Amino acid sequence: MSTISATAHIDTASVRSHVQRIPWLVWANVIASVCIATGLYWDISWHETIGRDSFWTPAHLVIQFGALLAAFGSAWVIMQTTFGGDTEARRNSVSVLGFRGPLGAFIAAWGGGAMLTSAPFDNWWHEAYGLDVKIISPPHILLAVGIAGIMWGGAILAVSYLNRAEGDERKSLERILLFVGGFIIVQGMTLKLEYTNRVLLHSAISYMVMSIGTLLLLEALARASGHRWARTIMTGVYSAFVLILMWVLPLFPAQPKLGPVYQNITHMVPLPFPMLLIVPAFFLDLMWPIFKDAPKWQQALFGGVSFTTILIAMEWPFATFLMSPAARNPLFATVDFPYFALPTSPTVRHVFVAWERSRGEFWQNMALAFLFAVASMWIGIFWGNWLKKVRR
Amino acid sequence: MKKFFRFICVLLLPLASAAHVNSPDVYYDGYAGPYHLLVTLRPPSVVPGVAQIQIRSVSNDVNEINILPLRMIGVGAKMAPLPDAAKRSADDPQLFTGSLWIMVRGSWKVQIQAVGQKGAAQLDVPLPAVSSSSQPMQTGLAILLAALGLALAAGLIGIIVAALRDAARNAGEPLASAQAWKGRLGLVLATILVIAAVISGGRWWEQEASANARLNYKIPNMKPSLLAGGLLRLRLDNPNESEPTRFRSEQPDRIRLDDLIPDHGHLMHLFIVRVPDMKAFWHLHPDQIQPGDFAQNLPLMPEGQYRLYADIVHHTGFPETEVATANLPSTAGEPLTSDDAGSFDLEPAEKVAQLTDGYRMVWEREGRPIKAGQPYWFRFRIEDKDGKPAADLEPYMDMTGHAVFLSTDGNVFAHVHPAGSVSMAAVKLAEGGSPRAGMADMEHNAAAAEVSFPYGFPKPGEYRIFVQVKRAGKVETAEFVAKAE
Repeated sequence: MSTISATAHIDTASVRSHVQRIPWLVWANVIASVCIATGLYWDISWHETIGRDSFWTPAHLVIQFGALLAAFGSAWVIMQTTFGGDTEARRNSVSVLGFRGPLGAFIAAWGGGAMLTSAPFDNWWHEAYGLDVKIISPPHILLAVGIAGIMWGGAILAVSYLNRAEGDERKSLERILLFVGGFIIVQGMTLKLEYTNRVLLHSAISYMVMSIGTLLLLEALARASGHRWARTIMTGVYSAFVLILMWVLPLFPAQPKLGPVYQNITHMVPLPFPMLLIVPAFFLDLMWPIFKDAPKWQQALFGGVSFTTILIAMEWPFATFLMSPAARNPLFATVDFPYFALPTSPTVRHVFVAWERSRGEFWQNMALAFLFAVASMWIGIFWGNWLKKVRR
Repeated sequence: MKKFFRFICVLLLPLASAAHVNSPDVYYDGYAGPYHLLVTLRPPSVVPGVAQIQIRSVSNDVNEINILPLRMIGVGAKMAPLPDAAKRSADDPQLFTGSLWIMVRGSWKVQIQAVGQKGAAQLDVPLPAVSSSSQPMQTGLAILLAALGLALAAGLIGIIVAALRDAARNAGEPLASAQAWKGRLGLVLATILVIAAVISGGRWWEQEASANARLNYKIPNMKPSLLAGGLLRLRLDNPNESEPTRFRSEQPDRIRLDDLIPDHGHLMHLFIVRVPDMKAFWHLHPDQIQPGDFAQNLPLMPEGQYRLYADIVHHTGFPETEVATANLPSTAGEPLTSDDAGSFDLEPAEKVAQLTDGYRMVWEREGRPIKAGQPYWFRFRIEDKDGKPAADLEPYMDMTGHAVFLSTDGNVFAHVHPAGSVSMAAVKLAEGGSPRAGMADMEHNAAAAEVSFPYGFPKPGEYRIFVQVKRAGKVETAEFVAKAE
């Protein structure tokens, strides 16, 4: 009883600090997230158009700027909190290995460190095994984890202030959180690009890969923000970002600097049309008032199954459309191919590839798609509920 | 640990090369229109990787050189990436250097565009590209990455502990015992997470490394067998054949044994050298019985241990050398016919080798030591018994001469022509012609009693050079000793 009284006393004594204005580090992390996501997309387009890689390509510089901004900004705040005289900052900080600072700052700084570590590792990887011909490799995963650290660091930093903010500040922080959430989706979907190529959208593998983790971050951040249309906004940011780059990049002339060249390239090659995540996300937002009070397992089951079903129901016929002559225009970006795409490749011929070798394998992957979606939603619910409590 | 050791062993395997044996660099003496160029191409040891290009203009009338990579055949041979400007040396204006990315394994050509006082012209030089080795991590880098990895692991554990222990507390709120316990639980969970990540990451890395090692080019080992009547049968090996993968937009050349094309009119050039004395040498041309199966009637040969090197060229212009070691009994042998030639009583010479009829072959070697990895013109002068330039030289398989550069341990082998270390069939393909066309138009120094071969020894060591020319209707073979530092 005495413990409860003490806690109550602390609350009523207004020991909790309200956020008066949005800290600069939150904005820095927003800028970092935008830079890194933009750089990543630009870099992939660069690899498909020009091919020649170096540390100093503009796309790499944008990524590096974002990483340095987040990492050094976070490190600065940690040093200030640890060694500075700001008592209020220390009272709102966590302790990691003797240092003090906001949890989000530690995560972002750690992400910057992981990105930094991945650079010499990736360089050696190229020397030992050759230049990348695939996105998923150990040094790239370390890089991706680092980027996720920076983006999630930014999101958790925003959440920690959001949970202490009221009024206009709270609304602003909600918007910032959902904006960063959109870029976290961009990063996740970038990692999955090899499996979401339109030639695979009539295979189960695409939906299986898309269901891994997507609902986790969508649900966690939606719950943390408390916004009525959180899922729609985040997937909307993702869709808008991909569409803008898809339409803008081809405006820049470019030619391959690597061979073999199999396509006549005159401008930057855009990346594919975004996945239609916004449709099931909108459905979940729409249904939120109905299912929010159900037991967690029912929420996970309903969310995972409905999300995957709607995604397949939308994406499958849309993929058929993307393969059709009607979609062969810059609006849908199905007329530009990487310089290394063979004229005989399925993408160039606008035909689907059956990833699964048998009907059994297809249905197994489809079942896994639903399973992963439900599991992701389940974890996302817990993750989101924890995020709502983060105050430091 | 055992697996790790095996992995390190794989990394330490010697270099392989598709053309020749352990001699991957390409040396080419050719003409871009009016400009005489000596070209050195050093393919990357891993593909995709960077090839180093060095071009020396024999005359000083070349102002600018651009280079670009193209596939040897197919669509990739027609569409070019933007060329790179080769950098002109400040110290030596006739020397140009550059680098090119080679993105897939297989048969390539480097297009050299020369611009000079006589206008613009181009030269296409074949470049076979394979992954031949994987580089081990340098100790310094390994220590750096280990230190950064430890810091990241410690940081991650610290963050997870702080997230569970501190993050949900209000400002200034003291640590409750439940939160302290959550912190301890976080410590255990985070440690397990980090250990699991390190173990699974290590396994993944190991899988990637072994998958990469499987893609490394392996020197094919043919299987020789001696049948009655001195008939040698050679069954070719194809350790680098690979099935196409399920979903890739670009495949490396798939190596097959049923796609060979003739080089100098023969599907196979077989070199037989007795070891360790290397005083017996033959250059033969077995017939194909069926794909991957060749036969040759052996000439008169003494008993001994022999190293066999068989040069073949695939339809893509991709050359290979199949190797074998065989203990052969003495054979009565068939008389040498057609382009077959050789001798079993060669005397390796430092500078002057005796030929028949009192003729001599003189290696016009400079007094300076030969450096490994450097391109040289190996020049040989053929004199008659009076010391005058031989007047009765004839083309031997359309060339003024053929040479074999062989290390005394037998591990380095290169079959070189006056045009260089590339297959002449590949040169024809690179120029856009048919590999089956004659080689007469490739004649180098046809009228002179001198033959030269552009080449560079790949590593220091003792070598033998076997030079073959044809005079008065007969192929002469001379042997020289060489040392590279």
